Amino acid sequence: MSAIATPRQSSVQRGLIDAYNATRRYLIRGKRQPDIIFGSVLFPVIFVVLFGYVFGSSISVPGGNYHSYLMSGLFAQSTLFASSQVAVAVATDMNEGVIDRFKTLPIARSSILIGRSISTIVLGLPALGVMILCALAVGWRPENGIFDAILGFLLIEVFAFALSWLGILAGLIAKSSQAADVISSIPVFLLGFVSNVFVDTSKMPVWLRVFADWNPVSAVVAAGRNLFGNTIGPPPAGVWSLEHPEITTIGLALIIIVVFIPICVRRYSRTSR
Amino acid sequence: MSNFAISAQHLARSFGETHALVDVSLDIPAGSVCALLGRNGAGKTTTVRILTTLLDPDDGHAQVAGFDIASQADRVRERIGVTGQTATMDELLTGHENLEIIGRFSHLGAAVSRQRADELLQQFDLVDAGRMLVKKYSGGMRRRLDLAASLIANPEVLFLDEPTTGLDPVARSEMWVAIRNLVARGTTVLLTTQYLDEADQLADTIVVVDRGLVVAEGTPEQLKASIGRPSVVVTLVDADPAALLKVRTALGADAVIRGRSVSAPAADGLESLAKVVTLLEELGVPIHEVGLEHPSLDEVFSAVTHRIGDHSPVAPAEIPA
Repeated sequence: MSAIATPRQSSVQRGLIDAYNATRRYLIRGKRQPDIIFGSVLFPVIFVVLFGYVFGSSISVPGGNYHSYLMSGLFAQSTLFASSQVAVAVATDMNEGVIDRFKTLPIARSSILIGRSISTIVLGLPALGVMILCALAVGWRPENGIFDAILGFLLIEVFAFALSWLGILAGLIAKSSQAADVISSIPVFLLGFVSNVFVDTSKMPVWLRVFADWNPVSAVVAAGRNLFGNTIGPPPAGVWSLEHPEITTIGLALIIIVVFIPICVRRYSRTSR
Repeated sequence: MSNFAISAQHLARSFGETHALVDVSLDIPAGSVCALLGRNGAGKTTTVRILTTLLDPDDGHAQVAGFDIASQADRVRERIGVTGQTATMDELLTGHENLEIIGRFSHLGAAVSRQRADELLQQFDLVDAGRMLVKKYSGGMRRRLDLAASLIANPEVLFLDEPTTGLDPVARSEMWVAIRNLVARGTTVLLTTQYLDEADQLADTIVVVDRGLVVAEGTPEQLKASIGRPSVVVTLVDADPAALLKVRTALGADAVIRGRSVSAPAADGLESLAKVVTLLEELGVPIHEVGLEHPSLDEVFSAVTHRIGDHSPVAPAEIPA
């Protein structure tokens, strides 16, 4: 008895097909977990209310509308939370027998992880949609027109894709999903809060301000504000990443993708080896 | 290329201080069923994980379906089916979706994958369950689906790691039937089990592993013969002491009385049995039954796994001085 004959395809073609099939699998799974999608949609709504009204009532930004200012920050911050969720999901995956089965199949080693990362972006779209609606409801407007706004969201999604690989690596390193939660939450909170997401960094103590200004998340937020037309005042002097936030965001995303995808794939192949 | 579907030479693998495999060699002819028999922690699963490319050996090498597991892993993966010890099906997918995805990952294409999924669901009596999410499956259904999944690309070599552990007797015998059907179609099977009767029922050859070493191998009959000769057992109609003594004396010095039976070593097998029957006719004692009894695989198993007794390379419970 021989294996069923399969049409000869190049390894690149096969790799793409494998990645497509893996993505498809994660999307089917995602659809079956409406509670997770519901949670991911609810979370940004809570943040808009919490920071826009509970804290926001006492926060002012010089010469601008705080709600408009805040929303670009929340858009960027949501990518951080998504990467933390990926870490937990990957750690959970790795403890399931099904991954072992996939490893005994003749598929590209990268395909399962690529599927995980692409499906994360796709399954996050409803949450992004709800967030945009909330933003519009509280007064945020894409002041530079629809084209720049789309560009802004594309930039944020590219960054989210890159970050998802950091989440995947955390998930692969962690021994359990709880550990993955802890490992990924610390940078998420540090980078997400010590930044220009919620406040203008100029009033922070110097040591914190330096960190916040050079924090890559601040660059992503600044890029968003530039493209959405919500920027207030000039960037802090001498901080290159905030003077060129779009280039910084794209560059950083590319570096993460180029460096961390191979690291993740190696780590994945070796988890049980 | 050899005629062996699986050929392994001196596989060794440690996990830190634990020597899971010390030295395991196997040669399994194509189309046969081999049972790796051993207790928990004997090294069965480690062997399977190495042969299915999930784990690299520290030492030794192996060929599966004619390809090297290290340098030609993808070729091996195209030719094997694996059913692991833990359920490896996706709970959030239906049975059909699970099979389809494995087919797609085996590069059968979407249409063929769906068609194979339908066939296998039918073959394993899971047609109605095919549209159900796996999380609603019973243990036996999961195992059958798991087995079906490992067959989707018609593998040349099938690995079954403890396929019936944890199943109830009915589900277990259903699994046995399914496995026997596969074997009838010429698939080479390596299965691991801790159940002697399972090895006896399904396997052409049995390899007994203990603490990472092969301690015995052969056909079930060879193994039974290796630890002792059969004995003749004469069972009387009732436990009449006088009659029992009479039979014992007639059967010779090594005969022993057990309940209403007398047993004696049958050095020449069937010939000994014939002699005993003639003897008994002369004695005129009321006999219920006379037969040859072989040592059970149970006895073989405890004999070979105790042989290396305390020279264990692994002593997890030991506290270092």
